[in-house]
Amino acid sequence: MSVSYLDAINAALNEEMRRDPSVFIIGEDVGVMGGAFGVTKGLYEEFGPDRVIDSPLAEGIIVSSSIGAAMAGMRPVPEIQFVDFITPAMDAITQQAAKLRYRSAGAQTCPLTLRVCYGGGTGGGMYHSQTNTTWFAHEPGLIVVAPATPTDAKGMLKASIRQDDPVIYFEHKKLYRLPAIKEDVPESADFLSDLFHCAVRRPGKDATIVTYGFMLQPSLQAAEKIAEETGASIEVIDLRVLNPLDHETIPNSIAKTGRLCIVQEDHRTLGIGSEIAATAAELAFDCLDAPILRVAAPDVPAIPAAEPLEQFYMPDLPKIMTAMRQLLQY
Amino acid sequence: MATKVKEPAAPAAAPKSAANGRPNSENPLISDDKLKQIYSTMVKCRLLEERARTLKKQARFKGNYYAAVGQEAVAVGAGIDLRPEDTVAPSHRDFILNFIKGVPLEIMFSQLYGRVTSPDKGRSSPAHCGYAPLNIITPASTIAAQLNIGTGVALANQMKKNDNVVVALSGEGSTSLGFWHEALNFAGVRNLPIVYICQNNLWAESVSVKLQTRVDDISLKATGYGFPGITVDGNDAVAMYRVAQEAIARARSGGGPTLIEAKTYRWYGHSEIDPAKYRSAEEVEEWKAKDPNAAMERYLTGKKLFSAEWKQQIFDSFNKELDAAVEYAEKQPQAQPIECLDHLYSFDVRGRELDRKTCTPQY
Repeated sequence: MSVSYLDAINAALNEEMRRDPSVFIIGEDVGVMGGAFGVTKGLYEEFGPDRVIDSPLAEGIIVSSSIGAAMAGMRPVPEIQFVDFITPAMDAITQQAAKLRYRSAGAQTCPLTLRVCYGGGTGGGMYHSQTNTTWFAHEPGLIVVAPATPTDAKGMLKASIRQDDPVIYFEHKKLYRLPAIKEDVPESADFLSDLFHCAVRRPGKDATIVTYGFMLQPSLQAAEKIAEETGASIEVIDLRVLNPLDHETIPNSIAKTGRLCIVQEDHRTLGIGSEIAATAAELAFDCLDAPILRVAAPDVPAIPAAEPLEQFYMPDLPKIMTAMRQLLQY
Repeated sequence: MATKVKEPAAPAAAPKSAANGRPNSENPLISDDKLKQIYSTMVKCRLLEERARTLKKQARFKGNYYAAVGQEAVAVGAGIDLRPEDTVAPSHRDFILNFIKGVPLEIMFSQLYGRVTSPDKGRSSPAHCGYAPLNIITPASTIAAQLNIGTGVALANQMKKNDNVVVALSGEGSTSLGFWHEALNFAGVRNLPIVYICQNNLWAESVSVKLQTRVDDISLKATGYGFPGITVDGNDAVAMYRVAQEAIARARSGGGPTLIEAKTYRWYGHSEIDPAKYRSAEEVEEWKAKDPNAAMERYLTGKKLFSAEWKQQIFDSFNKELDAAVEYAEKQPQAQPIECLDHLYSFDVRGRELDRKTCTPQY
């Protein structure tokens, strides 16, 4: 059965809550309403108000209470409705969740999975479109994942909930109901996806694109078009995990292709592409035949709402095509 | 207005009038043994902290120390009857809660010295001691942080339907943070088994409480969250004990949270490097005259429970315990440098950091 990204997340939550009574959900509008996007639909009805908690409108305590509950043996799955609203919870995430294990030398831990909705291209404007994934990728102690397919959405969420570490799970709002990515998803209750490695989504030998989240879609389209136009074969790597970064898959791909382009929805400066480029320069310098390119949003504070502005901001197929032609011609 | 409690109450029984936050004078007396235990624990806390301060001044350990000398009645009254399963969410100034809850002195001094035998193996600030076996949350230095996490522990206790409580400590400065209010509001909404103790010592580092809040009594803030708030003389150990035990009993029996404001005073600076020149000598002397330990001594004397010999015995035997703990800590090694890479995740990351493999062209 063809499953959407959203339904895959919902199924993962349902299965893990059935499996383990210590798993609970907390967030704004997650209960009676079933989530702003319908991701938690039906869970309140099945598991009740004590396991699907409609929280006060306060991101700080959504995350802090989850940290404490996790420390006391629960498996919280808190939700931040839009990453744009995550800032009140930054102390909880960066100072507490990321550091609790370290500062207690492993004696106190907080295995929680913070689901965060992110991403632009929907006309949502400055505060419903952000991609602030790098804030969290910069925090040792956190696992940061961003699935791009329904299979990963399900398997990585289930694996995150079972992982004994705090995980920030980024789900892209444009993928939720995207028909093009619907696919058969393993139905086994114990299907789990790897939380530590990139995935090669399209093998190639002439250049490498590294991307994640929604940007996997235009990246795959670009690879296809380049192949049609020039015959060059592009390897497309789905990053999947932003922290800790997989230090092998990307350098190994560059060793094969000699060329690297990073496509990210986040703005350029100190986005995840900066770290990927630095890692490539450190670990695969001898393999590089061309300067590393980045297709990224410009360094403006947030994504504007008006269509022409949003279009200018968002990386897309034409921008990736331009970069890839430049990369291949170098 | 500080509430003065003249007759102490039994710890375990939840008074019928508890819901309005007022103590009930019909409760039976606290046992003589308990009164003596409260006093001796306060005395030990002070000896412990004065020893820590001396060691810091002698540069026997690095880092800083945040003494709660002058505030012993609050910590002892709140912590002395907690069970091991109960959680303490300490502030940055609650090192002595570890002792009160039963953490061995050897471990506490290992923490001061940053040795491998410390609970955090030399990671955090010397005064920031946590202890997982007794459910003391390892403190961060960020304000109201443990109070927030403690609120989550209370949520877990409620979900698990056990009768464990959380005592979450903070200072008056923390009540200015949005975080503090998010936690109390949430605890009110969910009726969580938690007791918030605000140690109002009048000064948040150098800033007067008058610049933190316009209200005279911080306990008033509980009204906004729909649960009892009470102000207590934090230098009156019996009053503090009684009010805290009522609140703890209420939390344990499903009656929800309480905010206790304990009005007290820290005798020394914010830390050992702070000469506290922002407050007047008269104010300090005035509060030192209200020494909670001396007040408890007078209270016990009035009940014929005190003798100078007994006090001397406490001093002598506890000083020996402190000597032994210091000697133990000073003999312990520090962590190996490589251990800097440990305890980030549930999995090892040494390899990631140390063995970064470079690639050669394969085309």
